[in-house]
This record gives sequence, C-alpha cells and structure tokens, in this order.
Amino acid sequence: MDAGLLKDDVHFAGGCTPCHGGDDTQTDKDLAHRGKVKRPSEDLSLCGKCHGATAARYSKALHYTTAGFRHVVTKRMNHKEARDYNERVFEQSCRSCHATCGSCHVKAPAVGGISIGLIKGHRFVRRDEGKTCAFCHGGRVYPEYTGDYGGKADVHYQKGMMCMDCHSAGALHGDGRAYRFKEEVKGRPSCRDCHRPGNEERLTTRIAHLRHEGKVSCYGCHSAGEYRHCFECHEGGAQSKADFVLGLSPKNNRTVTTLRLVPTVRDSFKKQGVTMTHYDRLPNYWDAPVHNIRKRTDRTRSCEACHEEKRGFIVKERLIKNGSRSNAGVLYEPRPIPAKP
Amino acid sequence: MIMKKRGKFLSVLAGLIFVGALAATASARELEPVVTTAWLEKNLDKVIVLDVRKVEEYRGGHIPGAVNVAYGSWAIKRGELLNELPADDDLRDVLGSAGIEPASKVVVVGKTATPADRVDATRVAWTLIYAGVSEVSLLSGGYDKWVADGKAVSTEAVRPRAKDYRGRFHKDLVVTKAAVAAALGKGVIVDVRERDFYEGKKKLPFVERLGHIKGAVSLPTSTMYEADGTYKAKDALAALAAAAVGADRDREIILYCDTGKFCTAWWFMMRELLGYKNVKVYDGSMMEWAKDPAAPMEP
Ligand code: HEC
Ligand code: HEC
Ligand code: HEC
Ligand code: HEC
Ligand code: HEC
Ligand code: HEC
Ligand code: HEC
Ligand code: HEC
Repeated sequence: MDAGLLKDDVHFAGGCTPCHGGDDTQTDKDLAHRGKVKRPSEDLSLCGKCHGATAARYSKALHYTTAGFRHVVTKRMNHKEARDYNERVFEQSCRSCHATCGSCHVKAPAVGGISIGLIKGHRFVRRDEGKTCAFCHGGRVYPEYTGDYGGKADVHYQKGMMCMDCHSAGALHGDGRAYRFKEEVKGRPSCRDCHRPGNEERLTTRIAHLRHEGKVSCYGCHSAGEYRHCFECHEGGAQSKADFVLGLSPKNNRTVTTLRLVPTVRDSFKKQGVTMTHYDRLPNYWDAPVHNIRKRTDRTRSCEACHEEKRGFIVKERLIKNGSRSNAGVLYEPRPIPAKP
Repeated sequence: MIMKKRGKFLSVLAGLIFVGALAATASARELEPVVTTAWLEKNLDKVIVLDVRKVEEYRGGHIPGAVNVAYGSWAIKRGELLNELPADDDLRDVLGSAGIEPASKVVVVGKTATPADRVDATRVAWTLIYAGVSEVSLLSGGYDKWVADGKAVSTEAVRPRAKDYRGRFHKDLVVTKAAVAAALGKGVIVDVRERDFYEGKKKLPFVERLGHIKGAVSLPTSTMYEADGTYKAKDALAALAAAAVGADRDREIILYCDTGKFCTAWWFMMRELLGYKNVKVYDGSMMEWAKDPAAPMEP
C-alpha cells in the first residue's frame, strides 16, 4: 500500500486493526489468509464512529435494506406467502445485493463473484461511478447510458455527465426514513430539475412539449430506442433481450411512457416453495426511466410515428404469455392528431 | 436582419478567398496524419485533442486541454448493424458541441491496451473526415503511451465552447452492399480481419457465414502496430499496404471487417498517410454481407 496514504489519511491513523481486526504486527496484505474481516463496513457502526449521521441514515436507505426487493413483489402474495418469501428468498439471496459503505467508497463491488478490487489503492474515494455504480447497475442502466450495448450513448454522457451529476448522495445515503421502494425516495432526480420544456424557439418543439404535458413522459419521446428487458427470472438467473415498449404508466394510469418487463413470472419462486396468490395484482410491465436520452429520436422526428404508425406501443398480442391480468391496463392506443377545431 | 445577411455574405466571400489560398499550396495538410506524444506535448496549443475514452476515464486523467466525447456518441447501432454513422444532424450536433469546425486541426486519442481499444480512435477519425473536418490525426500509442512516456495529465474537465458545425459531408467515403457487389472483380476489396477469419476458420457469432467476400485480399489490422500499440513507421506500413493492394494510388479500394470499425485503421493509413486517393469503407461489413445468401463468399 502507498506509504504516503497511510501517513496522510486519517482513516489509517490506527493502522489496519480498528477496521479489519487481528493484529498489526504483520503487514501481509492478504487479509483472507489471516482470517480477518474482509468487509468491515458491513458493520455500519464502524464508519459510524466518525460519520455518525451518515451511517445512521444509511441503515434505513434502500441500498442497504434492499427493501425494494421485498415490498414490491410481496404485493403479489398473501401474508403467509410473504413471510415465506422473506425467509426463503429475500434473506437468502436478495439481501446479498446490498451495498456497504465500502462498495461505493473503497472496493469495487463483486458481481458474479468477480471484483476489480480496490477502487484506487485503499483510498476512501468520494465518488467513482465507473468503478462502483457501474458494476451493480451494469445489467441495464450503465451500459444503456454509455452506449456500450451498441445502442446510442445518452446525450448527458455525450456531454460529460456521470451518475452523480443527476443523482444526489443525499438520496443514496438516505434521509433516515425507511422507504419501501424507490418511488418513495425523496430527492430522486427528475428531468424537470434541469429542463423547463415549453418555451423553445422552434415552434414544433414547443408544440410537442406543450401538447403532451402529462400525456407523454419525456422518455416517451426522448428515449433513443431499444433497452434491456429481463424476463423469466428463476433463482437469480434471467434472460435478457433488447426491446422498446410504450404503454400507459402503471404508476399513474394516465401517462404514456417507456415500460420495462418485470422479471418476476408466476413460478419464479417455485423451487423455494413460494407461490403468489395475488400474482395478477401487479402488471408485468413497469415505468422505465431509461438512461438513453437523445434530443432526436424516431419519435421526435415524426409525430406520425405515434399518432399514425403507433410504433413501439404494446398491443395485446405482444404481451408476455401467461402474464398478469393487470397487463391489460398498460395497453394504450394513440389516436390520430385531432384536426383543428 | 440586414446586418446579419451582409455578415453572412461577407463570410462566404472570405471563404472563397480562403479556399483559393489553400489550393495554391501544394499539400493542404499542415498536421502530420500520425503524431507522437513528444510532438503533441509541444503543440498542444495548436490542435484540438479529442479524447474518445469513457467519461469516467477522462475524469480520472487526460491530456491537458483535451475535450472528451466518448466513443458511444460517434457510432451507433442502426437496425441490426453495429458501428453505424449517426444521422447527419446528430453528427453535426456532436461535432459542434465538442467545439469542432471544418477547419479545426484535431488529434484523436483513445486507449491502446487491446486491439479493440485501438480502433475506437480510428473510427472516430474516419467519422470526422467523413463529416468534412479537413485535418485529423492520430496519436500513435494513444493515451496509454502518453502516460507511459510520463507526460503531464490533468483532471480538469474541459467544457468546449459549442460551435454551429457546417462542414460538407463526404458521403462517397462509405459504400453500400450494392456498391461492393458492383466492385467485385473490378476494384480491390480488402479484408482487414485476422487470418483465421479471412481463411474461414473462425467467425464472430453475429456473422452468419465463414469466409471472406469473394476476391478480397487480406491485410490484417494487427500488422500495423508495434507491440506497445504505436504504429509502425511509414515505410513499413507502405510496404504492407503495397503487398496487399499494389502501388496504384488511384484505383478504387474498399475495406471491410466485421462491423465497420477495425477497417477504419487501414483506411486512415492508406488515405491520410500513404496517399491512396480512392479508399472507401464498407460500413455494413461482414455483419451485413454474410446475412445475404446471394452475396458471394469464399472459400
Ligand atoms: C477515525 C474516524 C473515521 C472513521 C472510522 C472513518 N472516517 Fe471517513 N473520514 C474521516 C474524516 C475526518 C474525513 C474528512 C477528511 C477530510 O476532509 O480530508 C473522512 C472522509 C471520508 C470520505 C470523503 C473522502 C473525500 O475525498 O472527500 C469518505 C468517502 C469516507 N470518509 C468514508 C468512510 C468510510 C466508508 C468509513 C468506514 C469504512 C470511514 N470513512 C470511517 C474520519 C473517519
Ligand atoms: C453493491 C451494489 C450497488 C452499488 C455499488 C450501487 N447500487 Fe444502486 N442499487 C443497488 C440495489 C440492489 C438497488 C435496489 C434497492 C431496492 O430497490 O431496494 C439499487 C437502487 C438504486 C436506485 C433506486 C433507489 C434509490 O435509492 O433511489 C438508484 C437511483 C441507484 N441505485 C443509483 C446508484 C448510484 C448512482 C450508484 C453509484 C454511486 C449506485 N447506485 C451504486 C445496488 C447498488
Ligand atoms: C450507493 C453508493 C453509496 C453508499 C452505499 C454510501 N455512499 Fe457515501 N457517498 C456516495 C457518493 C456518490 C458520494 C459523493 C457525492 C458527491 O461527491 O457529490 C458520497 C459521499 C460521502 C462522504 C463525503 C461527503 C459527505 O457527505 O460528508 C462521506 C463521508 C460518505 N459518503 C460516507 C459514507 C458512509 C459512512 C457510508 C456507509 C454508512 C456511505 N457513505 C455509503 C455514495 C455512497
Ligand atoms: C477505516 C477502516 C479501514 C481501515 C483502517 C483499513 N481498511 Fe481495508 N477495507 C476497508 C473497507 C471498508 C474495505 C472494503 C470492504 C467493505 O465494503 O467493507 C476494505 C477492504 C480491504 C481489502 C480488500 C479485501 C477483499 O475483499 O479482498 C484489503 C486487502 C484491505 N482492506 C487491506 C487493508 C490494510 C492492509 C489496512 C491497513 C494498512 C486496511 N485495509 C485498513 C476499511 C478499512
Ligand atoms: C441526466 C440525469 C441522470 C443521469 C446522468 C443518471 N441518471 Fe439515473 N435516473 C435519472 C432519473 C430522472 C431517474 C428516474 C427517477 C424516478 O423517476 O424515479 C433515474 C433513475 C435511476 C435508477 C432507478 C431505475 C429504475 O428502474 O427505477 C437507477 C438505478 C439509476 N438511475 C442509476 C443511475 C446510474 C448508475 C447512473 C450512471 C451510470 C445514472 N443513473 C445516471 C437521471 C439520471
Ligand atoms: C442535473 C441536470 C439534468 C437532468 C436531471 C436532466 N438533464 Fe438533460 N441536460 C442537462 C444538461 C447540462 C444538458 C446539456 C446542455 C447543453 O450542453 O447544451 C442536457 C441535455 C439534454 C438534451 C439535449 C439538448 C440539446 O440541445 O442537445 C435533452 C433532450 C435532455 N437533456 C433531456 C433530458 C431528459 C429527458 C431528462 C430526464 C430523463 C433530463 N434531460 C435530465 C442537464 C440535465
Ligand atoms: C411528444 C414528444 C415529446 C415529449 C413528450 C417531450 N419532448 Fe422534448 N423534444 C421533442 C421534440 C420534437 C424536440 C425537438 C427535437 C429537434 O430539435 O429535432 C424536443 C427537444 C427537446 C430538448 C432540446 C430543446 C431545444 O431547444 O432544442 C430538450 C432539452 C427536451 N426536448 C426535453 C424534454 C423534456 C425534459 C421532456 C419531458 C418533460 C420532453 N422533452 C418531452 C419532443 C418531445
Ligand atoms: C411518443 C408518442 C407521440 C408522439 C411522438 C407525438 N404524440 Fe401527440 N399525443 C400522444 C399521446 C399518447 C396523446 C394523448 C392523446 C391521444 O391518445 O392521442 C397525444 C396527444 C396529442 C394531441 C392532443 C392534445 C389534446 O389536448 O388532446 C395533439 C394535438 C398532439 N398529440 C399533437 C402531436 C404533434 C403535433 C406531434 C409531433 C410534433 C405529436 N403529437 C407527437 C403521443 C405522441
């Protein structure tokens, strides 16, 4: 390890033992061989000694509780099923996806058992999205954003913005309230934080924005196109494909937006003996804040793409087989542009 | 309004005079097509350094003054095809927002660790020339060499002043499948994939058939580099090219690979460094060609 770092960084003032345990007489870097704590920040009180407020808030944050994995899917279950799910599925597998303080500040998280190791020596880095967020959100968000799936890079990436230019540490660390899922989190970013569409110079742009307020989300027009969908999820394994799906937001039932397939299927937890009595309560599609924004898309180029050709709008025949009965609620058929009165 | 119009007229006039001046000097290029880290270090103030690595890599350290537009904004997926050109207006926006104008002198810099890394920069250089930027160069060895040579790096992100990009596109630098089919037996068609691919022993999963376009000659991309990712010297490159396509500088030469990315490396060397005048890229490449059962292939 960098000697300068040891000397100058307050974190190392007491050597390695305060965090990793064991004795400090050896300087062997390989902690595993000494039976020491490999993931010290699993214990929030450790960082909490000095970062008390952050640690206290973080204990309730979604990244730590992964409560989103529990509260959404259990809406499909009765009480007993939900209890079984919590014991047999959530605590066994979902909890392990949670982030420790170290996952964002010290060591790149392992995905599929592989980690690229410490983020930057053993520095306590403030932010390094490419080595932290990118791994846990590497299934869809990150590669969608950078264009690594061979799609189109998000315009914000083109302009040099990274995750934390929109997302705030406050929202990630949490505010001390135990939210059940991401929609409840305060301080989530929104396009309107930075853009106030409706007074552009170009008339067509202005019309596009003003006529669709509340009717079509920004993603509906500005998502570049195909994004990833995971389906057929069984025991953590799922298949994925690229697709572009427009439909009515299940969140508010009134705005057309990009939708993503939810990986849970009827028999997702069959192996663990958990059934879903109320499976049909939630649809198999959910709002997708896709990170592939472009100024121009085939929809901004053509009003007819939606109003005449209905491109991308999901129709009954395209819904997944044996899906939830609530899926009917996301279907939407746009009408031709009304003639001027 | 009138003021504006007159201003425009004057600038058109100035443009005409300028073009005349350029034509008078024999070779318009002031910037060497391939520059070294030593040269670039001394001439940073004369060029726009365009860093095409990822945003986070750029933020971690870059050549002082370099602007960053990551590779993913220069080449897109269209339909089934990877590495295609963005729409003209989108490309103009990308160029303009990077502060690039047709008369800019641009040095494109990427990573060089792997063979795939190395061609990010050449594909972008090709795209700039396609869009009408007149002087585009490559940094031999890329950012990796810059760091290995111990040159200064900066972590200060550069926000370029946006320009309204109005270059004239050289549409003739790209050819379609039909044009390749028409060139069979006439022009020189060059397969830049590695020998095993050319010989039909291997293929990528998204390429439907083994083998190469009928009559194509082989000139693998890997032959142009030294072990450290820098380019071989000009005469070595000239000999390699001549052995594959001959010395006739006017003949039509069409390059292809699997997706239209690797082949931009030899395209750049042939056209910008070695003086072949009629070199084109088949952007659809094997990904498109092999899908058509009627498109002739061998062996
Ligand atoms: C002994 C007290 C102490 C402990 C324990 C401690 N920190 Fe810190 N930490 C500090 C101080 C003091 C600073 C502010 C240093 C500064 O401003 O230069 C800091 C700063 C940081 C920063 C910001 C670094 C930056 O570049 O801005 C991060 C991130 C951080 N700590 C993470 C952690 C994590 C994660 C843990 C638990 C593994 C931890 N700290 C444990 C005292 C501590
Ligand atoms: C160790 C893995 C891991 C890392 C590292 C990680 N995330 Fe997450 N993230 C998750 C998981 C798991 C969830 C789902 C939590 C839930 O819904 O219960 C999530 C949810 C989210 C959400 C939605 C919930 C919310 O809190 O608003 C956002 C936004 C997010 N992550 C952004 C980021 C960003 C930005 C970074 C990098 C600074 C990052 N994540 C790093 C695993 C990770
Ligand atoms: C999901 C990722 C994530 C997790 C988990 C996380 N942080 Fe952070 N934290 C960040 C990001 C991102 C920033 C930097 C924000 C910025 O620079 O704008 C940050 C900033 C900080 C800072 C410096 C700024 C400040 O708020 O004082 C400290 C200290 C810190 N975190 C400590 C912690 C501790 C302690 C934990 C665990 C209790 C933790 N973080 C968990 C993402 C995370
Ligand atoms: C302030 C607390 C702190 C101190 C002091 C500290 N570490 Fe760490 N170390 C961490 C955290 C946090 C991680 C990342 C794992 C995690 O998320 O908890 C980590 C990870 C590591 C890892 C990677 C472990 C793995 O998963 O393979 C090594 C190796 C390591 N530390 C060595 C050291 C050594 C050697 C010292 C003493 C010079 C030291 N650490 C001092 C907090 C600390
Ligand atoms: C241009 C701003 C912007 C940037 C840059 C950005 N995000 Fe987001 N992100 C958003 C918005 C807006 C939402 C939607 C919030 C909402 O409505 O709940 C979101 C939602 C998310 C979610 C929740 C996803 C879901 O399905 O609900 C995750 C996870 C996330 N972002 C991760 C990231 C990561 C990782 C990066 C960096 C690779 C990143 N974001 C970059 C704006 C941004
Ligand atoms: C944190 C602020 C922030 C958020 C949140 C944000 N943007 Fe942006 N957006 C920007 C900035 C900065 C630019 C670049 C402006 C420029 O360079 O002229 C930009 C550029 C754009 C552009 C291209 C504009 C152009 O003229 O080329 C579009 C389209 C866009 N954003 C749409 C969105 C959408 C849709 C969302 C929500 C998913 C969103 N933005 C969220 C800050 C933001
Ligand atoms: C019905 C389709 C539609 C919707 C919905 C929509 N936009 Fe747009 N947007 C457009 C069109 C069309 C343009 C002009 C594109 C062009 O210049 O070619 C545009 C341009 C923009 C620009 C660039 C502005 C400029 O002056 O060039 C931004 C930024 C933007 N939109 C943001 C948003 C945000 C944020 C939302 C959500 C609140 C949104 N848009 C919703 C169609 C839409
Ligand atoms: C992403 C798809 C999409 C695109 C692109 C789109 N629209 Fe719409 N538009 C809708 C939807 C959905 C509605 C809601 C009513 C409906 O179903 O027709 C709507 C409604 C309207 C309305 C009726 C508003 C009202 O008050 O009832 C007008 C007018 C309209 N659009 C004009 C346009 C014009 C002009 C363009 C091109 C600039 C355009 N739309 C592009 C989806 C779209």
